[in-house]
Amino acid sequence: MEALTNSIVPEIILDEIVEKYKGKPGMLLSTLEEVQEKNPLKYLPCETLTVVSQKLNIPYTQVYSVATFYSFFNLKPQGKHSIIVCRGTACHTKGSKALLDEVAPILGFKRTEDETESSFTTPDNEFTIKTVACFGQCAQSPVVAVDGVIFSNVNSQRLMKILKKVKK
Amino acid sequence: MKITINNQPVQVPEGITIMEACNSVGINVPSLCYLKDVSHNASCGVCVVEVKGAKSLLRSCITQVTENMEITTNSQRVMEARRVNVELLLANHPQDCLQCDRNQNCELQQITFDLGVTCKRFVRTQREIRPKDETSLSLVRDPEKCILCGRCVAVCSEVQGVKAIDFSGRGLKSKISTFLDLGMGIVACTNCGQCALVCPTGAITEKSAVSEVWDALHHPDKVVLVQTAPAVRVAIGEAMGMPDGSLVTGKMVAGLRRLGFSKVFDTNFAADLTIIEEGNELIDRIKTGGVLPMITSCSPGWIKYIEHFYPKSLTHLSSCKSPQQMFGAIAKTYYAEKAGIDPRNIVVVSVMPCTAKKFEARRPEMDGAFQYWKEKVTMTDEEHFFDVDAVLTTRELARMFKETGIDFTHLPEEQFDNPLGESTGAAVIFGATGGVMEAALRTAYEVFTGKTLANINFTAVRGLTGIKEAEVDLEGTKIKIAVAHTLKNAAILLEQIENGTSPYTFIEVMTCPGGCLGGGGQPIPTNYEIRKKRAESIYYEDAHKGLRKSHENPEILTLYNDFLIEPLGEKSHHLLHTNYIERGKYKKYN
Repeated sequence: MEALTNSIVPEIILDEIVEKYKGKPGMLLSTLEEVQEKNPLKYLPCETLTVVSQKLNIPYTQVYSVATFYSFFNLKPQGKHSIIVCRGTACHTKGSKALLDEVAPILGFKRTEDETESSFTTPDNEFTIKTVACFGQCAQSPVVAVDGVIFSNVNSQRLMKILKKVKK
Repeated sequence: MKITINNQPVQVPEGITIMEACNSVGINVPSLCYLKDVSHNASCGVCVVEVKGAKSLLRSCITQVTENMEITTNSQRVMEARRVNVELLLANHPQDCLQCDRNQNCELQQITFDLGVTCKRFVRTQREIRPKDETSLSLVRDPEKCILCGRCVAVCSEVQGVKAIDFSGRGLKSKISTFLDLGMGIVACTNCGQCALVCPTGAITEKSAVSEVWDALHHPDKVVLVQTAPAVRVAIGEAMGMPDGSLVTGKMVAGLRRLGFSKVFDTNFAADLTIIEEGNELIDRIKTGGVLPMITSCSPGWIKYIEHFYPKSLTHLSSCKSPQQMFGAIAKTYYAEKAGIDPRNIVVVSVMPCTAKKFEARRPEMDGAFQYWKEKVTMTDEEHFFDVDAVLTTRELARMFKETGIDFTHLPEEQFDNPLGESTGAAVIFGATGGVMEAALRTAYEVFTGKTLANINFTAVRGLTGIKEAEVDLEGTKIKIAVAHTLKNAAILLEQIENGTSPYTFIEVMTCPGGCLGGGGQPIPTNYEIRKKRAESIYYEDAHKGLRKSHENPEILTLYNDFLIEPLGEKSHHLLHTNYIERGKYKKYN
């Protein structure tokens, strides 16, 4: 819980980031991206959204609109390790659903049938497992990204191995 | 420019869209997202047409005509595509039209019928029922009925510059939401209701007070007084099947009497009162070096806007309450005393062209009458009452007329009751942009100079231009004035004030396009042409009133003689004036 209370990026750092992008095209995206990166729990708490909105003089709703549009942005705290399973069409046909069905329950992730994109963080904050629509790596499907590293042609044994390695 | 539409050669001007070209030759192209001057995001796909040489169907609302373009609007391909696009929208739309607020006045319903969509082939893709947003005192949003056309977002940001709502999420999770989905009652929303006015379905509606008003009317011990805002009389006829902008003052009064209201009074009375107070406040500020420019305070959406976004400029606001609130305070004090009615038994109902009035009536400080009586007789806090008990929009009143089977067009013309039904032409023009300014000038000129005004028509402040300005010569004292409607235009004048370049002495601001006659509580549709017709009716009523200056209203003079004593006096201060709060754009969400 301690980590949670300390998870807001300090104003000084925010100012630096904002200063870097203010007035440039795409300033909101760049700012949010870097602010999220600087956050220990890799997310954008609502306090951060409001401060970014004020500093860039962009309406609240627009900031929220952008932050919810891109699956890259997290509005909830993220686990130490991220596992992103692609649920795009190609990966789906190559069995990404089965992959998710096998691995997710082991981490305690219950997913509902219909969700094309969702996110779950284990209670111990070790893993966040997410699905996205496509990585653009369809030739090597199914694709999973673990802590930013993309693994291709993944099957469940391979994924379990990767996870074990990461956990150590 | 020569083009053909459905094989018919047509001459059209350059630079117009296919939709406009079709409309100009009598072919109505259906659309659910396009709205002239407001929204053109081409999201609904219902306006598609076939153009020879184009690979796919084109959205006619955003495609400009080109020389020799061959357009087809009635091919099988076009008609099938339109039907499918509507069917796809219907897949996630509830099928409870019969109980919907917008039943029989719904664009989705109308287009579904017009296009001959007779079956529902597609299953719902939304798994959850998305809850209503009922946090606002003025508006209710039902995401279930939303078809994501984006009109509300466009009007909120492009016309009003408020940006209380926007799209959030993506794909199946796309929706219209406020910041963090906090609800419209929590974020910086001005309650103007323009979103409700442009919504093609029932996804945004006013928070209804109809059943509350029926309860009061059916209560044996309550004396239910009604007041009607100036803009209602030029619009309610439309909702009752009459031509756009019909002036139906007398019929409206007759109808209200038939609904069972004890007295049918007029907000115009209070508008005259507002002018006396506000005119004197302006003169006082000019003479004593008070904060200038002074800005009018009749429009509650505007008040909430400045409280959220420009709190530094709050001192520029006139301290006068709006006519609705002045009426409530006077009805429950002066009138209660005069008529010998216990104010606790009085129910004041307002009929307003406005959704923000619902919020205004519940501002905690709007209980001047209760405070007045508390000092005179013993009243416990449990007996607390507001000056105005319930606010109906023009649309809600129309609904009540329909519920009771009133044949509106054949009602006789009746007169308002006295004393709070007496008014002048200056009051009726409150309903149009520039009206409060003109009314105030008619009075301020004569009070300031002591002379009679030769020409009382200040035509420079009339019309639908976004910001109007004029110079007025008060016998040697020249003042510059400005009139703005829509909050985006108001913001321009506020920026001038905040950076010290405002040349004006007096500014009128109305929240809605066209002023109250284009308010968020008016009949749907309300568009530019309809606004113009309503304005014509308002100025017609003014021109045909015997008295056209607020300070000549005999009942107002009696009110001052018998009760208020003098403008800006002690009683006025308590009952007719108010104060404002800083709401904050960011930190506080109220």
